[in-house]
Amino acid sequence: MSHRYFSVILLPTSDCNVACEYCFEEKEPYRLPASLVPVLIERLLDHMENEDFEECEIYWQGGEAMIMGPDWYYDTIGQMNSAAESKGRRFVHYLQTNLIGYSSAWEGVLFDLFNGSLGTSMDYPNLHRKLFNGSAEKYTALWRKRLEEVQAAGIQVGVIAVLHQGSLDAGADAFYRFYADELGLDSFQVNTPFPGGPASDAETEFQLESEALAVFLGELFDIWIERGIGKGVALGPFDALIDHFTGKEARLPCIWKENCSNQFISVDAKGTVAQCDCWVTSYPDHFFGNLFQSESLTKMLYESPARREFVERPSRLMENEDCLSCRYLSICHGGCPVRTHTALGTMHAKDPYCEVYKAVFARAEKQGLARRRLRLLPVSS
Amino acid sequence: MDEELAEVEGNGSLPFFPASVARDQEADAFVVIVSNSLDFTWWLRNASPATQWLQVEDLLNDTEIWAVAARKETEVAIDVVIGDPALEFSRLYQLVDVSRIRDVRVSIPIRTGFLKALRLAASLQFPVRLLPGQVPPDLFPELQEALEFYLYDPQVEAPIEFFHSALASARGKSLGGLWTVLEQDPGVFQHFDEEGREKLPSAEFRGEAQDFLAWYQEQLTSRNAECVSCRWRDYCGGYFKLPDPEYSCQGVIKILDRLQIAASEMEEDLAGWETEDSEEKGRVVS
Repeated sequence: MSHRYFSVILLPTSDCNVACEYCFEEKEPYRLPASLVPVLIERLLDHMENEDFEECEIYWQGGEAMIMGPDWYYDTIGQMNSAAESKGRRFVHYLQTNLIGYSSAWEGVLFDLFNGSLGTSMDYPNLHRKLFNGSAEKYTALWRKRLEEVQAAGIQVGVIAVLHQGSLDAGADAFYRFYADELGLDSFQVNTPFPGGPASDAETEFQLESEALAVFLGELFDIWIERGIGKGVALGPFDALIDHFTGKEARLPCIWKENCSNQFISVDAKGTVAQCDCWVTSYPDHFFGNLFQSESLTKMLYESPARREFVERPSRLMENEDCLSCRYLSICHGGCPVRTHTALGTMHAKDPYCEVYKAVFARAEKQGLARRRLRLLPVSS
Repeated sequence: MDEELAEVEGNGSLPFFPASVARDQEADAFVVIVSNSLDFTWWLRNASPATQWLQVEDLLNDTEIWAVAARKETEVAIDVVIGDPALEFSRLYQLVDVSRIRDVRVSIPIRTGFLKALRLAASLQFPVRLLPGQVPPDLFPELQEALEFYLYDPQVEAPIEFFHSALASARGKSLGGLWTVLEQDPGVFQHFDEEGREKLPSAEFRGEAQDFLAWYQEQLTSRNAECVSCRWRDYCGGYFKLPDPEYSCQGVIKILDRLQIAASEMEEDLAGWETEDSEEKGRVVS
């Protein structure tokens, strides 16, 4: 039997130190006040107790999470962990950062509180991640410098790449070489884009034609199989799909969970609670409530009409879409609500990337079954 | 009632009690049938080690009770019996969180639209027990489709009964006969009503529960039922001749024969696989 997971994507600030053109968050120079940290901890621990979660994964991100400074994390996470321990519970912490504000002052924090690892983001080619007073090129140069510093410090780095039209134009080979060879990464993942949050001129760059995207991902998958998988390069979500199709336990990305509303929420610096970071700063109609103004997170989650929409989404898809007859239902469940909402204006439809996912699943299935078959072949004496 | 229950405790079979009479039981092992949220909640919280599982009937549409079932007061397993699979199938998503802390099986009556529930339950990796009863003739196309889904869809990882045990039987490996798989053999599974009286599959039977199947087989033989010459008799045990002894088994036999063909195909595939492995070995050696 697997475990029940409960994760919180926690935004201690929605302020940011860079100016990416496609950011879906509404930025504000507001930070989680120290006086509200005990309230946050109490609400989370009460919820864990009510729902019988022994562990809660906290994904710290922003805005830009490093804006809060290393001492803030020592203090806040220290409070969280000791409060959890006193109640027989546990918080596990992860950090997602753009790395731009990294300095050696973070080294201790990363090893002490984040298990010596962090997640960051970089696109290829980088056309839309920009410094406030600089170009995308300057952003890339600074990010790469920071990455080298982090790698030199022995910190494990996972990189998220959001695909855009430029990625497709550059091709899968150049894309793979950038991350695996130029940057020397052994863990990165590709995310499908969505035009969420405030409107911007860059949005059209992130509205990709499904067929072209499927071709790109198929080629990238093949390159990874040829050059990466045997050399220990983890490329998400392909690696999880291979795990799945070879019969191993797979932790698939949130977009393909049975029901994301069962497993995580997001909370911003003002206490706003929503389904995930994609919703929490940009879609007030879909907020579940406010953590600091509610007596109980558990009660809020049960009673919120907005959350009920998320809870019921997979059931409604099964009734109204063709997902039930899909051979990949068990690893997709209709896909991501926010990608659907931003494309179609409703979350109660299947993910607009349905055909892209199917193409990727088919490729992973073929590869996975071949590997499974090899593994199952009787050993000849 | 007390005398009947004392006998049950003595003979080693597994009793199924409705919640209304289950709290007083002292059997070493028993199953509790719950069909309202109050009883379900009570048993989730108070199931003793003797409680083998809870058979949960007609509660899939209750949205609140499944949040309670996802908490870990006890780890007692549950068998969720769907009332109307065509209407309730999408509610199976409520069981996902529950299944992370306790074993969940889904039991689906073969009624129009049952395939929807089967597909979703299988895709959520729940073990499934199909409850056939006497399958109406118009449902055989859907049952045939369900069988092909069981045999060939890669999403199916957990067993789907009764297909699974029939396939095993066709391959000469018994996982139990149909009466046992469906938990209807009174010699192994004793079912009690709200008054604590034992329920038997046939009102005509007057003997001891453990003798029911032998008696029933004799009845089939004396009536010269089609079971007498049926190749599936050992597995099926005349299950489909109750309650209507005139029920034609032709549709069911077709389904079981399809499983026999699949079993033969598996044998051939496995034999071919071993040959292939030898050739592979030859290539590696040379």
